[in-house]
Amino acid sequence: MKVGLVCPYPWDVPGGVMAHVRDLAEALIAAGHEVSVLAPVDDDEEPLPPYVVPAGRTVPVRYNGSVARLVFGPISARRARRWLRDGQFDVLHLHSPETLSLSLITLLQASGPIVATFHSANPRSRVLAAASPALQPALEKIQGRIAVSAAARRTIVEHLHGDAVLIPNGVHVKTFVGAEPMPGWPGTGGALGFLGRIDEPRKGLSVLLDAFSRLAQGRPGLRLLVAGPGDGDEVRAALPANLRDRVVLLGLISEEDKPRFYASVDLYVAPNIGGESFGIVLLEAMAAGTPVVASDLDAFRRVLDDGRAGKLFPIGDPDALAATLAGLLDDPTRREALADRGAARVAAYDWSAVARSVLGVYQTVRMAHPAHPTHRAHPVREEPAEPADPTIAPRSGAGPRAVAGS
Amino acid sequence: MLNVVAVVSAVVLLATYLTWLAGRLDRLHARTDGARASLDAQLVRRAASAMAVAEYAVAAGLLSVATARALSSAARVASTAGVAERESAENDLSRSLHTAVPLLGQRDADLRGLLADLAAACSHVVLARRFYNDAVRDTRSVRRRHLVRWLRLSGHAPTPGYFEIDDTPTTALTALDPAQPT
Repeated sequence: MKVGLVCPYPWDVPGGVMAHVRDLAEALIAAGHEVSVLAPVDDDEEPLPPYVVPAGRTVPVRYNGSVARLVFGPISARRARRWLRDGQFDVLHLHSPETLSLSLITLLQASGPIVATFHSANPRSRVLAAASPALQPALEKIQGRIAVSAAARRTIVEHLHGDAVLIPNGVHVKTFVGAEPMPGWPGTGGALGFLGRIDEPRKGLSVLLDAFSRLAQGRPGLRLLVAGPGDGDEVRAALPANLRDRVVLLGLISEEDKPRFYASVDLYVAPNIGGESFGIVLLEAMAAGTPVVASDLDAFRRVLDDGRAGKLFPIGDPDALAATLAGLLDDPTRREALADRGAARVAAYDWSAVARSVLGVYQTVRMAHPAHPTHRAHPVREEPAEPADPTIAPRSGAGPRAVAGS
Repeated sequence: MLNVVAVVSAVVLLATYLTWLAGRLDRLHARTDGARASLDAQLVRRAASAMAVAEYAVAAGLLSVATARALSSAARVASTAGVAERESAENDLSRSLHTAVPLLGQRDADLRGLLADLAAACSHVVLARRFYNDAVRDTRSVRRRHLVRWLRLSGHAPTPGYFEIDDTPTTALTALDPAQPT
Protein backbone atom coordinates (compact mmCIF):
# COMPACT_ATOMS: atom_id res chain seq x y z
CA MET A 1 0.00 0.00 0.00
CA LYS A 2 1.24 3.54 -0.71
CA VAL A 3 0.93 5.58 2.44
CA GLY A 4 1.51 9.32 2.88
CA LEU A 5 2.14 10.43 6.45
CA VAL A 6 2.18 14.08 7.56
CA CYS A 7 4.10 15.09 10.68
CA PRO A 8 3.13 18.59 11.93
CA TYR A 9 6.29 19.18 13.99
CA PRO A 10 9.90 19.58 12.82
CA TRP A 11 11.62 16.32 11.98
CA ASP A 12 14.92 17.45 13.54
CA VAL A 13 13.43 18.36 16.94
CA PRO A 14 12.82 15.27 19.07
CA GLY A 15 9.26 15.05 20.34
CA GLY A 16 6.43 12.63 21.02
CA VAL A 17 4.44 13.10 17.81
CA MET A 18 7.56 13.13 15.63
CA ALA A 19 8.81 9.89 17.24
CA HIS A 20 5.39 8.33 16.72
CA VAL A 21 5.36 9.22 13.01
CA ARG A 22 8.93 7.96 12.57
CA ASP A 23 8.24 4.65 14.32
CA LEU A 24 4.97 4.10 12.46
CA ALA A 25 6.66 4.88 9.14
CA GLU A 26 9.46 2.41 9.85
CA ALA A 27 7.08 -0.31 11.02
CA LEU A 28 4.97 0.11 7.87
CA ILE A 29 8.09 -0.01 5.69
CA ALA A 30 9.22 -3.15 7.52
CA ALA A 31 5.82 -4.69 6.75
CA GLY A 32 6.47 -4.08 3.04
CA HIS A 33 4.52 -0.89 2.42
CA GLU A 34 5.63 2.17 0.53
CA VAL A 35 5.76 5.20 2.84
CA SER A 36 6.50 8.88 2.36
CA VAL A 37 6.55 11.34 5.27
CA LEU A 38 5.97 15.07 4.75
CA ALA A 39 7.49 17.01 7.64
CA PRO A 40 8.87 20.45 8.42
CA VAL A 41 12.66 20.53 8.67
CA ASP A 42 14.47 23.41 10.37
CA ASP A 43 18.08 22.41 9.81
CA ASP A 44 18.90 21.93 6.13
CA GLU A 45 22.25 20.35 6.96
CA GLU A 46 20.76 17.49 8.96
CA PRO A 47 20.67 14.26 6.92
CA LEU A 48 17.12 12.93 6.52
CA PRO A 49 15.93 9.34 6.22
CA PRO A 50 15.07 8.50 2.60
CA TYR A 51 11.32 8.43 3.28
CA VAL A 52 11.13 12.05 4.55
CA VAL A 53 10.16 14.93 2.24
CA PRO A 54 10.95 18.35 3.76
CA ALA A 55 8.11 20.90 3.76
CA GLY A 56 10.04 24.00 4.80
CA ARG A 57 11.00 25.67 8.05
CA THR A 58 8.76 26.26 11.05
CA VAL A 59 7.74 29.53 12.69
CA PRO A 60 7.93 29.75 16.48
CA VAL A 61 4.52 30.58 18.00
CA ARG A 62 4.15 31.44 21.66
CA TYR A 63 1.16 29.76 23.25
CA ASN A 64 0.33 28.97 26.86
CA GLY A 65 3.82 29.72 28.15
CA SER A 66 5.58 27.42 25.72
CA VAL A 67 6.76 27.83 22.16
CA ALA A 68 5.16 25.72 19.49
CA ARG A 69 7.04 25.42 16.23
CA LEU A 70 4.49 25.40 13.47
CA VAL A 71 4.63 25.59 9.73
CA PHE A 72 2.29 27.40 7.42
CA GLY A 73 2.28 29.73 4.48
CA PRO A 74 2.21 29.50 0.70
CA ILE A 75 5.55 27.69 0.39
CA SER A 76 4.44 24.84 2.63
CA ALA A 77 1.05 24.73 0.92
CA ARG A 78 2.73 24.38 -2.47
CA ARG A 79 5.11 21.69 -1.23
CA ALA A 80 2.23 19.78 0.36
CA ARG A 81 0.30 19.95 -2.88
CA ARG A 82 3.24 18.74 -4.94
CA TRP A 83 3.85 15.92 -2.44
CA LEU A 84 0.21 14.82 -2.70
CA ARG A 85 0.35 14.90 -6.48
CA ASP A 86 3.65 13.05 -6.81
CA GLY A 87 2.84 10.53 -4.09
CA GLN A 88 -0.42 9.14 -5.53
CA PHE A 89 -1.12 7.68 -2.09
CA ASP A 90 -3.65 4.96 -1.43
CA VAL A 91 -4.14 6.47 2.01
CA LEU A 92 -3.23 9.86 3.44
CA HIS A 93 -2.57 9.74 7.19
CA LEU A 94 -2.35 13.08 9.04
CA HIS A 95 -1.15 13.59 12.59
CA SER A 96 -2.69 16.19 14.92
CA PRO A 97 -4.72 17.91 12.16
CA GLU A 98 -6.58 19.94 14.79
CA THR A 99 -3.57 22.23 15.21
CA LEU A 100 -2.75 25.07 12.84
CA SER A 101 -0.03 23.15 11.09
CA LEU A 102 1.27 21.32 8.06
CA SER A 103 -1.31 18.58 8.67
CA LEU A 104 -4.17 21.06 8.36
CA ILE A 105 -2.61 22.68 5.28
CA THR A 106 -2.37 19.28 3.64
CA LEU A 107 -5.89 18.32 4.68
CA LEU A 108 -7.30 21.47 3.05
CA GLN A 109 -5.83 20.41 -0.29
CA ALA A 110 -6.55 16.70 -0.14
CA SER A 111 -9.37 14.35 -0.94
CA GLY A 112 -9.71 10.58 -1.11
CA PRO A 113 -9.08 8.11 1.70
CA ILE A 114 -7.92 10.20 4.69
CA VAL A 115 -7.05 8.96 8.17
CA ALA A 116 -6.00 11.14 11.10
CA THR A 117 -4.40 10.42 14.45
CA PHE A 118 -5.16 12.73 17.37
CA HIS A 119 -2.39 12.92 19.95
CA SER A 120 -3.50 15.77 22.14
CA ALA A 121 -5.13 14.90 25.46
CA ASN A 122 -6.40 18.20 26.75
CA PRO A 123 -10.06 17.92 27.74
CA ARG A 124 -10.30 21.62 28.58
CA SER A 125 -8.50 23.09 25.59
CA ARG A 126 -10.09 26.50 25.04
CA VAL A 127 -8.23 26.93 21.78
CA LEU A 128 -9.60 23.68 20.44
CA ALA A 129 -13.12 24.54 21.58
CA ALA A 130 -12.96 27.95 19.90
CA ALA A 131 -11.38 26.64 16.71
CA SER A 132 -13.63 23.65 16.27
CA PRO A 133 -16.49 25.28 14.27
CA ALA A 134 -13.98 26.84 11.85
CA LEU A 135 -12.10 23.57 11.49
CA GLN A 136 -15.23 21.46 11.07
CA PRO A 137 -15.51 21.64 7.26
CA ALA A 138 -11.90 20.52 6.89
CA LEU A 139 -12.09 17.85 9.59
CA GLU A 140 -15.20 16.42 7.91
CA LYS A 141 -12.94 15.10 5.16
CA ILE A 142 -11.31 12.69 7.59
CA GLN A 143 -12.92 9.27 7.27
CA GLY A 144 -11.09 7.40 9.99
CA ARG A 145 -10.00 8.93 13.26
CA ILE A 146 -7.49 7.34 15.61
CA ALA A 147 -6.80 8.43 19.19
CA VAL A 148 -3.57 7.38 20.88
CA SER A 149 -5.08 7.32 24.37
CA ALA A 150 -8.43 7.25 26.11
CA ALA A 151 -7.83 10.88 27.11
CA ALA A 152 -7.16 11.89 23.50
CA ARG A 153 -10.35 10.12 22.46
CA ARG A 154 -12.30 12.00 25.13
CA THR A 155 -10.88 15.27 23.78
CA ILE A 156 -12.22 14.42 20.32
CA VAL A 157 -15.63 13.50 21.65
CA GLU A 158 -15.91 16.70 23.69
CA HIS A 159 -14.47 19.24 21.27
CA LEU A 160 -14.82 17.86 17.79
CA HIS A 161 -18.13 16.04 18.28
CA GLY A 162 -16.89 12.86 16.70
CA ASP A 163 -15.51 9.58 17.85
CA ALA A 164 -12.27 7.70 17.24
CA VAL A 165 -10.83 4.26 17.52
CA LEU A 166 -8.20 3.83 20.19
CA ILE A 167 -4.80 2.60 19.01
CA PRO A 168 -2.11 3.27 21.58
CA ASN A 169 1.54 4.08 20.90
CA GLY A 170 3.92 1.24 20.28
CA VAL A 171 7.38 0.27 21.52
CA HIS A 172 10.26 -1.32 19.64
CA VAL A 173 10.40 -4.43 21.80
CA LYS A 174 13.50 -5.80 20.08
CA THR A 175 15.71 -2.82 20.92
CA PHE A 176 15.09 -3.34 24.64
CA VAL A 177 15.75 -7.08 24.77
CA GLY A 178 19.06 -8.38 26.09
CA ALA A 179 20.83 -5.05 26.75
CA GLU A 180 24.05 -5.06 28.74
CA PRO A 181 23.60 -3.50 32.22
CA MET A 182 25.79 -0.55 33.27
CA PRO A 183 29.06 -1.66 34.99
CA GLY A 184 28.41 -2.57 38.63
CA TRP A 185 24.64 -2.71 38.26
CA PRO A 186 22.24 -4.06 39.46
CA GLY A 187 24.58 -5.46 42.13
CA THR A 188 23.56 -7.81 44.90
CA GLY A 189 21.86 -5.48 47.36
CA GLY A 190 18.93 -4.66 45.10
CA ALA A 191 18.49 -1.80 42.62
CA LEU A 192 15.43 0.31 41.84
CA GLY A 193 14.99 2.46 38.72
CA PHE A 194 13.09 5.64 37.84
CA LEU A 195 12.93 7.46 34.51
CA GLY A 196 11.31 10.84 33.95
CA ARG A 197 11.67 14.55 34.71
CA ILE A 198 12.91 14.63 38.30
CA ASP A 199 11.47 18.08 39.07
CA GLU A 200 8.00 17.40 37.63
CA PRO A 201 5.81 16.65 40.69
CA ARG A 202 3.34 14.55 38.69
CA LYS A 203 6.07 12.06 37.85
CA GLY A 204 6.05 11.27 41.57
CA LEU A 205 9.77 10.90 42.26
CA SER A 206 9.20 12.26 45.81
CA VAL A 207 6.89 9.30 46.56
CA LEU A 208 9.63 6.92 45.47
CA LEU A 209 12.31 8.81 47.47
CA ASP A 210 10.11 8.51 50.58
CA ALA A 211 9.66 4.80 50.07
CA PHE A 212 13.38 4.38 49.30
CA SER A 213 14.41 6.18 52.50
CA ARG A 214 12.26 3.80 54.52
CA LEU A 215 13.56 0.67 52.80
CA ALA A 216 17.21 1.70 52.59
CA GLN A 217 17.69 2.08 56.35
CA GLY A 218 17.22 -1.66 56.79
CA ARG A 219 18.82 -2.72 53.49
CA PRO A 220 22.41 -1.53 53.34
CA GLY A 221 22.96 -2.61 49.72
CA LEU A 222 19.81 -1.11 48.19
CA ARG A 223 20.41 1.55 45.51
CA LEU A 224 18.26 3.79 43.34
CA LEU A 225 19.11 4.70 39.75
CA VAL A 226 17.41 7.86 38.46
CA ALA A 227 17.40 8.91 34.80
CA GLY A 228 15.83 12.13 33.57
CA PRO A 229 16.46 15.86 33.31
CA GLY A 230 15.98 18.29 36.21
CA ASP A 231 17.74 19.76 39.24
CA GLY A 232 19.60 16.97 41.03
CA ASP A 233 20.51 19.09 44.07
CA GLU A 234 16.87 19.22 45.14
CA VAL A 235 16.63 15.46 44.97
CA ARG A 236 19.76 15.01 47.09
CA ALA A 237 18.48 17.59 49.61
CA ALA A 238 15.29 15.57 50.04
CA LEU A 239 17.28 12.52 51.16
CA PRO A 240 18.82 11.78 54.56
CA ALA A 241 22.58 12.47 54.41
CA ASN A 242 23.59 8.83 54.85
CA LEU A 243 21.58 7.72 51.81
CA ARG A 244 22.73 10.33 49.32
CA ASP A 245 25.50 8.27 47.77
CA ARG A 246 23.09 5.38 47.21
CA VAL A 247 20.94 7.40 44.84
CA VAL A 248 22.66 7.75 41.46
CA LEU A 249 21.43 10.53 39.18
CA LEU A 250 22.21 9.96 35.51
CA GLY A 251 20.56 13.12 34.16
CA LEU A 252 18.96 12.97 30.73
CA ILE A 253 19.85 9.74 28.95
CA SER A 254 19.75 9.08 25.22
CA GLU A 255 17.35 6.68 23.51
CA GLU A 256 20.35 4.41 22.88
CA ASP A 257 21.15 4.24 26.59
CA LYS A 258 17.60 3.51 27.72
CA PRO A 259 17.74 -0.29 27.25
CA ARG A 260 20.93 -0.42 29.34
CA PHE A 261 19.26 1.68 32.02
CA TYR A 262 16.33 -0.75 32.34
CA ALA A 263 18.69 -3.72 32.36
CA SER A 264 20.62 -2.17 35.26
CA VAL A 265 17.82 -2.38 37.84
CA ASP A 266 15.90 -5.18 39.58
CA LEU A 267 12.63 -3.28 39.64
CA TYR A 268 11.36 -0.37 37.56
CA VAL A 269 9.14 2.02 39.54
CA ALA A 270 6.54 4.37 38.01
CA PRO A 271 5.25 6.38 40.99
CA ASN A 272 3.32 8.92 38.88
CA ILE A 273 0.54 10.73 40.68
CA GLY A 274 -1.39 11.83 37.59
CA GLY A 275 -1.28 13.36 34.15
CA GLU A 276 0.16 10.34 32.39
CA SER A 277 -1.92 9.58 29.32
CA PHE A 278 -0.11 6.40 28.36
CA GLY A 279 2.52 4.29 30.09
CA ILE A 280 5.18 4.09 27.40
CA VAL A 281 7.99 3.86 30.01
CA LEU A 282 6.24 0.87 31.57
CA LEU A 283 6.17 -0.88 28.22
CA GLU A 284 9.87 -0.17 27.67
CA ALA A 285 10.74 -1.66 31.06
CA MET A 286 8.56 -4.70 30.35
CA ALA A 287 10.24 -5.12 26.95
CA ALA A 288 13.62 -5.04 28.69
CA GLY A 289 12.44 -7.84 30.99
CA THR A 290 12.47 -5.66 34.10
CA PRO A 291 9.52 -6.19 36.46
CA VAL A 292 7.40 -3.07 36.93
CA VAL A 293 5.84 -1.52 40.03
CA ALA A 294 3.46 1.32 39.14
CA SER A 295 0.87 3.54 40.74
CA ASP A 296 -2.73 2.52 40.18
CA LEU A 297 -3.54 5.05 37.42
CA ASP A 298 -6.15 4.03 34.80
CA ALA A 299 -3.62 4.06 31.98
CA PHE A 300 -1.09 2.02 33.95
CA ARG A 301 -3.70 -0.50 35.07
CA ARG A 302 -4.66 -1.07 31.44
CA VAL A 303 -1.07 -1.50 30.25
CA LEU A 304 -0.31 -3.83 33.17
CA ASP A 305 -3.39 -5.97 32.51
CA ASP A 306 -5.02 -5.14 35.88
CA GLY A 307 -1.86 -5.88 37.81
CA ARG A 308 -1.06 -9.24 36.20
CA ALA A 309 1.84 -7.96 34.11
CA GLY A 310 3.21 -5.58 36.76
CA LYS A 311 2.48 -4.74 40.38
CA LEU A 312 0.15 -1.80 41.17
CA PHE A 313 0.16 0.26 44.38
CA PRO A 314 -2.22 3.03 45.60
CA ILE A 315 -1.39 6.39 43.94
CA GLY A 316 0.93 8.63 46.01
CA ASP A 317 1.25 6.19 48.94
CA PRO A 318 4.94 5.74 49.93
CA ASP A 319 4.14 3.19 52.65
CA ALA A 320 2.28 0.93 50.26
CA LEU A 321 5.05 1.38 47.68
CA ALA A 322 7.74 0.47 50.24
CA ALA A 323 5.82 -2.65 51.26
CA THR A 324 5.30 -3.71 47.62
CA LEU A 325 8.97 -3.15 46.80
CA ALA A 326 10.16 -5.03 49.91
CA GLY A 327 8.00 -8.04 49.02
CA LEU A 328 9.41 -8.20 45.49
CA LEU A 329 13.03 -7.46 46.45
CA ASP A 330 12.92 -10.46 48.79
CA ASP A 331 11.43 -12.82 46.23
CA PRO A 332 13.42 -13.29 43.00
CA THR A 333 11.01 -16.00 41.79
CA ARG A 334 8.05 -13.62 41.91
CA ARG A 335 10.13 -10.93 40.21
CA GLU A 336 10.96 -13.33 37.43
CA ALA A 337 7.34 -14.42 37.01
CA LEU A 338 6.27 -10.77 36.86
CA ALA A 339 8.97 -10.03 34.26
CA ASP A 340 7.82 -13.01 32.16
CA ARG A 341 4.21 -11.90 32.19
CA GLY A 342 5.32 -8.34 31.41
CA ALA A 343 7.37 -9.52 28.43
CA ALA A 344 4.41 -11.55 27.14
CA ARG A 345 2.06 -8.59 27.55
CA VAL A 346 4.33 -6.09 25.79
CA ALA A 347 4.32 -8.08 22.53
CA ALA A 348 0.81 -6.72 21.88
CA TYR A 349 2.22 -3.18 22.06
CA ASP A 350 5.15 -3.70 19.71
CA TRP A 351 5.18 -1.32 16.75
CA SER A 352 4.63 -4.25 14.40
CA ALA A 353 1.31 -4.98 16.17
CA VAL A 354 0.40 -1.29 16.25
CA ALA A 355 1.14 -0.98 12.54
CA ARG A 356 -1.16 -3.96 11.88
CA SER A 357 -3.98 -2.19 13.71
CA VAL A 358 -3.34 1.02 11.77
CA LEU A 359 -3.38 -0.96 8.51
CA GLY A 360 -6.81 -2.27 9.52
CA VAL A 361 -7.97 1.34 9.66
CA TYR A 362 -6.43 2.03 6.23
CA GLN A 363 -8.20 -0.99 4.72
CA THR A 364 -11.55 -0.02 6.22
CA VAL A 365 -11.27 3.54 4.92
CA ARG A 366 -10.12 2.40 1.48
CA MET A 367 -13.12 0.11 1.18
CA ALA A 368 -15.28 3.23 1.26
CA HIS A 369 -13.63 4.33 -2.02
CA PRO A 370 -14.16 1.47 -4.45
CA ALA A 371 -14.06 3.65 -7.54
CA HIS A 372 -10.94 5.60 -6.65
CA PRO A 373 -8.36 3.47 -4.92
CA THR A 374 -5.70 6.13 -5.23
CA HIS A 375 -5.41 9.33 -3.30
CA ARG A 376 -5.47 12.54 -5.35
CA ALA A 377 -4.78 16.18 -4.74
CA HIS A 378 -7.46 18.76 -5.42
CA PRO A 379 -6.79 21.12 -8.27
CA VAL A 380 -5.72 24.21 -6.34
CA ARG A 381 -6.94 27.60 -7.47
CA GLU A 382 -3.91 29.67 -6.46
CA GLU A 383 -1.73 27.79 -8.92
CA PRO A 384 -3.28 28.27 -12.32
CA ALA A 385 0.17 28.31 -13.97
CA GLU A 386 0.97 24.80 -12.76
CA PRO A 387 1.90 22.69 -15.81
CA ALA A 388 -0.79 20.21 -16.71
CA ASP A 389 -0.19 16.87 -15.03
CA PRO A 390 -1.76 13.84 -16.65
CA THR A 391 -2.06 12.07 -13.30
CA ILE A 392 -4.53 14.54 -11.84
CA ALA A 393 -7.60 15.13 -13.87
CA PRO A 394 -9.40 18.29 -12.78
CA ARG A 395 -12.57 17.17 -11.10
CA SER A 396 -15.72 18.72 -9.79
CA GLY A 397 -16.09 19.77 -6.16
CA ALA A 398 -17.26 16.36 -5.08
CA GLY A 399 -13.82 14.92 -5.85
CA PRO A 400 -13.18 11.20 -5.87
CA ARG A 401 -16.22 10.50 -3.74
CA ALA A 402 -18.68 11.59 -6.40
CA VAL A 403 -19.12 8.10 -7.79
CA ALA A 404 -19.65 6.45 -4.43
CA GLY A 405 -22.28 9.07 -3.61
CA SER A 406 -24.36 8.94 -6.74
CA MET B 1 -25.20 53.37 -6.55
CA LEU B 2 -23.51 52.29 -3.33
CA ASN B 3 -26.68 50.49 -2.35
CA VAL B 4 -26.71 48.56 -5.59
CA VAL B 5 -23.08 47.54 -5.11
CA ALA B 6 -23.84 46.43 -1.56
CA VAL B 7 -26.86 44.38 -2.62
CA VAL B 8 -25.03 42.80 -5.54
CA SER B 9 -22.03 41.86 -3.43
CA ALA B 10 -24.32 40.47 -0.73
CA VAL B 11 -26.11 38.31 -3.31
CA VAL B 12 -22.81 37.14 -4.78
CA LEU B 13 -21.46 36.31 -1.35
CA LEU B 14 -24.61 34.44 -0.39
CA ALA B 15 -24.64 32.50 -3.64
CA THR B 16 -20.99 31.55 -3.19
CA TYR B 17 -21.65 30.44 0.35
CA LEU B 18 -24.69 28.38 -0.65
CA THR B 19 -22.81 26.71 -3.47
CA TRP B 20 -19.99 25.86 -1.09
CA LEU B 21 -22.45 24.57 1.49
CA ALA B 22 -24.25 22.40 -1.06
CA GLY B 23 -20.91 20.98 -2.19
CA ARG B 24 -19.93 20.29 1.38
CA LEU B 25 -23.20 18.47 1.99
CA ASP B 26 -22.72 16.48 -1.19
CA ARG B 27 -19.28 15.39 -0.05
CA LEU B 28 -20.68 14.40 3.33
CA HIS B 29 -23.39 12.27 1.76
CA ALA B 30 -20.80 10.63 -0.45
CA ARG B 31 -18.59 9.96 2.56
CA THR B 32 -21.54 8.43 4.42
CA ASP B 33 -22.45 6.21 1.45
CA GLY B 34 -18.86 5.05 1.11
CA ALA B 35 -18.59 4.32 4.82
CA ARG B 36 -21.86 2.38 4.63
CA ALA B 37 -20.56 0.30 1.74
CA SER B 38 -17.43 -0.44 3.75
CA LEU B 39 -19.52 -1.37 6.81
CA ASP B 40 -21.73 -3.69 4.74
CA ALA B 41 -18.67 -5.38 3.28
CA GLN B 42 -17.18 -5.94 6.73
CA LEU B 43 -20.47 -7.32 8.07
CA VAL B 44 -20.68 -9.75 5.15
CA ARG B 45 -17.12 -10.81 5.84
CA ARG B 46 -17.94 -11.38 9.51
CA ALA B 47 -20.97 -13.49 8.62
CA ALA B 48 -18.88 -15.56 6.18
CA SER B 49 -16.16 -16.12 8.82
CA ALA B 50 -18.80 -17.13 11.36
CA MET B 51 -20.30 -19.56 8.87
CA ALA B 52 -16.90 -21.13 8.21
CA VAL B 53 -16.31 -21.53 11.95
CA ALA B 54 -19.78 -23.09 12.40
CA GLU B 55 -19.17 -25.57 9.58
CA TYR B 56 -15.83 -26.59 11.03
CA ALA B 57 -17.31 -26.94 14.52
CA VAL B 58 -20.10 -29.19 13.22
CA ALA B 59 -17.70 -31.41 11.27
CA ALA B 60 -15.35 -31.70 14.24
CA GLY B 61 -18.18 -32.15 16.76
CA LEU B 62 -16.98 -29.21 18.86
CA LEU B 63 -20.42 -27.71 19.46
CA SER B 64 -23.79 -29.16 20.34
CA VAL B 65 -26.07 -29.46 17.33
CA ALA B 66 -28.33 -26.72 18.70
CA THR B 67 -25.50 -24.20 19.27
CA ALA B 68 -23.90 -24.90 15.89
CA ARG B 69 -27.27 -24.59 14.14
CA ALA B 70 -28.00 -21.30 15.95
CA LEU B 71 -24.64 -19.88 14.84
CA SER B 72 -24.92 -20.90 11.20
CA SER B 73 -28.52 -19.74 10.91
CA ALA B 74 -27.65 -16.39 12.56
CA ALA B 75 -24.79 -16.00 10.06
CA ARG B 76 -27.08 -16.86 7.14
CA VAL B 77 -29.85 -14.49 8.26
CA ALA B 78 -27.33 -11.69 8.84
CA SER B 79 -25.82 -12.00 5.38
CA THR B 80 -29.22 -11.89 3.64
CA ALA B 81 -31.11 -9.44 5.87
CA GLY B 82 -32.75 -6.38 4.32
CA VAL B 83 -32.10 -2.86 5.52
CA ALA B 84 -34.90 -2.86 8.10
CA GLU B 85 -33.87 -6.12 9.78
CA ARG B 86 -30.13 -5.62 9.45
CA GLU B 87 -29.37 -4.34 12.94
CA SER B 88 -31.32 -7.01 14.77
CA ALA B 89 -29.92 -9.75 12.53
CA GLU B 90 -26.35 -8.58 13.19
CA ASN B 91 -27.09 -8.41 16.92
CA ASP B 92 -28.31 -12.02 16.80
CA LEU B 93 -25.06 -13.00 15.13
CA SER B 94 -23.03 -11.15 17.80
CA ARG B 95 -24.98 -13.00 20.49
CA SER B 96 -24.46 -16.38 18.84
CA LEU B 97 -20.73 -15.67 18.56
CA HIS B 98 -20.56 -14.72 22.24
CA THR B 99 -22.16 -18.09 23.07
CA ALA B 100 -20.32 -20.33 20.64
CA VAL B 101 -16.74 -19.02 20.39
CA PRO B 102 -15.71 -19.61 24.04
CA LEU B 103 -16.82 -23.28 23.69
CA LEU B 104 -14.55 -23.98 20.73
CA GLY B 105 -11.08 -23.99 22.27
CA GLN B 106 -8.12 -23.86 19.86
CA ARG B 107 -7.43 -27.50 19.18
CA ASP B 108 -5.58 -27.30 15.85
CA ALA B 109 -4.04 -24.93 13.34
CA ASP B 110 -7.10 -25.03 11.05
CA LEU B 111 -9.39 -23.86 13.82
CA ARG B 112 -6.90 -21.24 14.97
CA GLY B 113 -6.71 -19.92 11.41
CA LEU B 114 -10.51 -19.72 11.16
CA LEU B 115 -10.71 -17.97 14.52
CA ALA B 116 -8.00 -15.50 13.53
CA ASP B 117 -10.02 -14.65 10.41
CA LEU B 118 -13.12 -14.22 12.54
CA ALA B 119 -11.24 -12.02 15.04
CA ALA B 120 -9.97 -9.79 12.23
CA ALA B 121 -13.45 -9.60 10.69
CA CYS B 122 -14.99 -8.65 14.06
CA SER B 123 -12.45 -5.90 14.71
CA HIS B 124 -12.95 -4.53 11.20
CA VAL B 125 -16.67 -4.33 11.91
CA VAL B 126 -15.87 -2.21 14.98
CA LEU B 127 -13.77 0.15 12.84
CA ALA B 128 -16.20 0.37 9.95
CA ARG B 129 -19.19 0.96 12.21
CA ARG B 130 -17.45 3.73 14.14
CA PHE B 131 -16.33 5.44 10.92
CA TYR B 132 -19.83 5.12 9.47
CA ASN B 133 -21.51 6.57 12.55
CA ASP B 134 -18.95 9.39 12.52
CA ALA B 135 -19.88 10.19 8.92
CA VAL B 136 -23.57 10.07 9.83
CA ARG B 137 -23.02 12.45 12.75
CA ASP B 138 -21.14 14.97 10.57
CA THR B 139 -23.74 14.74 7.81
CA ARG B 140 -26.70 15.16 10.14
CA SER B 141 -25.16 18.14 11.88
CA VAL B 142 -24.90 20.02 8.56
CA ARG B 143 -28.37 18.87 7.45
CA ARG B 144 -29.84 20.31 10.64
CA ARG B 145 -28.84 23.87 9.69
CA HIS B 146 -31.74 26.24 8.99
CA LEU B 147 -30.40 27.33 5.61
CA VAL B 148 -29.96 23.73 4.50
CA ARG B 149 -33.50 22.83 5.53
CA TRP B 150 -35.22 25.97 4.18
CA LEU B 151 -33.50 25.76 0.83
CA ARG B 152 -33.58 21.94 0.71
CA LEU B 153 -29.88 21.85 -0.08
CA SER B 154 -29.75 18.14 0.66
CA GLY B 155 -31.99 17.44 -2.32
CA HIS B 156 -33.51 13.98 -2.38
CA ALA B 157 -30.81 12.30 -0.29
CA PRO B 158 -32.47 10.62 2.69
CA THR B 159 -31.24 11.43 6.20
CA PRO B 160 -28.68 8.74 7.03
CA GLY B 161 -29.38 6.69 10.15
CA TYR B 162 -26.89 5.51 12.74
CA PHE B 163 -26.07 1.80 12.75
CA GLU B 164 -26.30 0.52 16.31
CA ILE B 165 -25.32 -3.04 17.17
CA ASP B 166 -23.34 -4.71 19.91
CA ASP B 167 -20.04 -5.47 18.23
CA THR B 168 -17.82 -5.94 21.28
CA PRO B 169 -15.68 -8.93 20.29
CA THR B 170 -15.73 -11.88 22.67
CA THR B 171 -12.71 -12.07 24.96
CA ALA B 172 -11.84 -15.45 23.45
CA LEU B 173 -11.21 -13.60 20.16
CA THR B 174 -9.47 -10.48 21.50
CA ALA B 175 -7.04 -12.76 23.33
CA LEU B 176 -5.83 -13.87 19.89
CA ASP B 177 -4.78 -10.33 19.03
CA PRO B 178 -4.90 -7.90 21.98
CA ALA B 179 -3.49 -5.02 19.94
CA GLN B 180 -6.68 -4.69 17.92
CA PRO B 181 -8.17 -1.21 18.12
CA THR B 182 -11.03 -0.58 20.52
